[in-house]
Amino acid sequence: MKVLVINCGSSSIKYQLFNMKDESVLASGLVDKVGLNGSYIKNVRSDGDKVKLEGNIFDHQQGIEYVLGVLTSEKHGSIKDLKEIEAVGHRVVHGGEEFNGSVSITDEVISTMEDCVELAPLHNPPNLKGIYAVNELMPGTPQCGVFDTAFHQTMEAKSYMYAIPYALYKKHGIRRYGFHGSSHKFVSQRLSEISDIDINNSKIITCHLGNGASIAAIKNGKSVDTSMGMTPVEGLMMGTRTGDLDVGALTFIMNKEDIGLNATNTLVNKHSGVLGVSGVSSDMREVEEAAEAGNERAILALRMYEYRIKKYIGAYAAIMGGVDAIVFTGGIGENADETRENVLDGLEFLGINFNNEANKGLRGKEINLCHKDSKVQVWVIPTNEELVIARDTIEILENK
Amino acid sequence: MKEKLEDYALNKSMKSNSDTIKVGIIGCGTMGQELSILVSKSGIDVVFIEISEEKINSSFEGIGFQIDNIISHWGMTEGDKRAILSRIIGTTDYSKISDCNIVIESINTKKWIPNQPTRKEVFRKAEKVIDKKALLISNASTIVISDLASELEFPCRAIGVHFIAPAITTRVIEVNKCHNTNKESLDALHRFIRAIGKETIKINGTPGNISTRLIVPMINEACELLMEGVSTVAEIDKTMQMGYGMQRGPFTMADRIGLDKLTKWMEGLYNEYGDRKYKTSPIIKRMVRTGMLGSKSNNGFYIYKDGKKIEKNGSIFNLGN
Repeated sequence: MKVLVINCGSSSIKYQLFNMKDESVLASGLVDKVGLNGSYIKNVRSDGDKVKLEGNIFDHQQGIEYVLGVLTSEKHGSIKDLKEIEAVGHRVVHGGEEFNGSVSITDEVISTMEDCVELAPLHNPPNLKGIYAVNELMPGTPQCGVFDTAFHQTMEAKSYMYAIPYALYKKHGIRRYGFHGSSHKFVSQRLSEISDIDINNSKIITCHLGNGASIAAIKNGKSVDTSMGMTPVEGLMMGTRTGDLDVGALTFIMNKEDIGLNATNTLVNKHSGVLGVSGVSSDMREVEEAAEAGNERAILALRMYEYRIKKYIGAYAAIMGGVDAIVFTGGIGENADETRENVLDGLEFLGINFNNEANKGLRGKEINLCHKDSKVQVWVIPTNEELVIARDTIEILENK
Repeated sequence: MKEKLEDYALNKSMKSNSDTIKVGIIGCGTMGQELSILVSKSGIDVVFIEISEEKINSSFEGIGFQIDNIISHWGMTEGDKRAILSRIIGTTDYSKISDCNIVIESINTKKWIPNQPTRKEVFRKAEKVIDKKALLISNASTIVISDLASELEFPCRAIGVHFIAPAITTRVIEVNKCHNTNKESLDALHRFIRAIGKETIKINGTPGNISTRLIVPMINEACELLMEGVSTVAEIDKTMQMGYGMQRGPFTMADRIGLDKLTKWMEGLYNEYGDRKYKTSPIIKRMVRTGMLGSKSNNGFYIYKDGKKIEKNGSIFNLGN
């Protein structure tokens, strides 16, 4: 059974075609600069065949049409006929409170998703465009929506509510939703497959550290808390986002700098975080290099980044009454050995006996980074959000 | 390995009715620069036309300066700046706008001139090189678009569009169609306006649109109050700001618009309607003659120093030294 996974961004489309018999990837690729000049598709086939196709791509529908054209082409294709694709899974950023799991896409679901656009005005509209396009191009093919927020819908009100007038929650749905759900779900499940940890009887903290970053407390397989909130700005310090910030400070800044909503949004989303503090870059490798060369603000940014993660680990161990395993994933989580070392430094009291020898230089490999006698396990597990989407799609199709 | 995308179209006919937009801007003074940024930041390619290489260079300097100013107020990033600049081309050659489907005339005339011969000339030159379906837009607040369109071969494509300054942040755009403008052109324009993230305000052929006709009498009346000694510049501004929740008072607004530009608007409206309420206030005339043009000359109803607005003590004609 073959499943196509589609992730539509504002001007890009990422895709992967899975053979779900063995969960292998038949082809993957990227459509970039949709609606802009210089648009192209890069397709990589499982046998290593790579191609870049250049030409006009006016909208998401046309982008997906070409992707299907490439996937079925004689020269670079992976399948002979579109009918081989039995289902399409879409990543959808915000599912609001309406979606606590992945869903089979119907007209009713589409209309509910359209209502969620307000919550994620930048992300949800392109996600929807992908769904419209498949409806048009592959009518009758089952589609499934997998939401970034769904995994965290198990949070209790005490953790998802903000201490603001209750009426605002009722009126506008202002509450914490959390993101990176597919990633937190994937690595926690993967952990139970490769270790002796029982997902249904465990306390796991998963750290998804990429350019965007979030951390989740997963008790008995369910997300009980996560650091991102109503939007992805809350929580950990990120490449260019502030993470937690006193809202009083924000209104003070708006007043002092005489800026409106748009500039404030850009300030907290694009000028802040590691880039804002270091003044060097949002790319962790460049900041690490600057820190090694003695750049004090780069050093400060790294220490702040690690400190915030450590603080959340402490908090999540407290709310779960302990922790059995900590998982690092995402570009930084999987590759930055120093970040992992500094985050865990001083956490021996939790029962972590960290094997720094194993940690040093480790990049992107699935491994337990603790000594055998460690009460708490620390793992690096590369994430695979696309596979979660493909699996959910199959599951929904089979249970229909 | 690179190949052509077209070879991989599915058998169905590929949709190509939603052409990518490319915009030509004729005249790249302060407003032309703002428009270049506004359009390019939405991912659309821009070609602007200026009269000499020097002007092209100074336009690019102005664009860079305007973006830096936005960055310093946290509204954009250095990455945004690189992307925006990479989509803008400056030229003196009209043939370079031949593939633009929207051409915006944004030339800066020093004075209000009846019949607008320069703008007409620009329209004629542009029409010679562009596709017959491409739109010709005039960004002027007080001219009559039908006048400009009258000499075109295809007047159905002419539309008056008023980008209210600062065009990058203002959320509405006034669209003033002329009696010949056809539906196809208006639809194309609305697509463009949506693509740059703005809302359309439709106007039925009136010079001055809504915004200019309302702002001009208010500024004139504020000058009357000042001349009668009713109150001071700062107090009048404060009353309108705090009393009516306006973001800026009439004098601050006048300084931001630029008193020379304001004078042109006033002359245009007075010429069209003959109503005293549009007649340029003597204070404004005198200030323009003295070179006090508002924030752009650092001296207007207020003094501007290091990016800050300072109240004047005593007469407005205080030069602020």
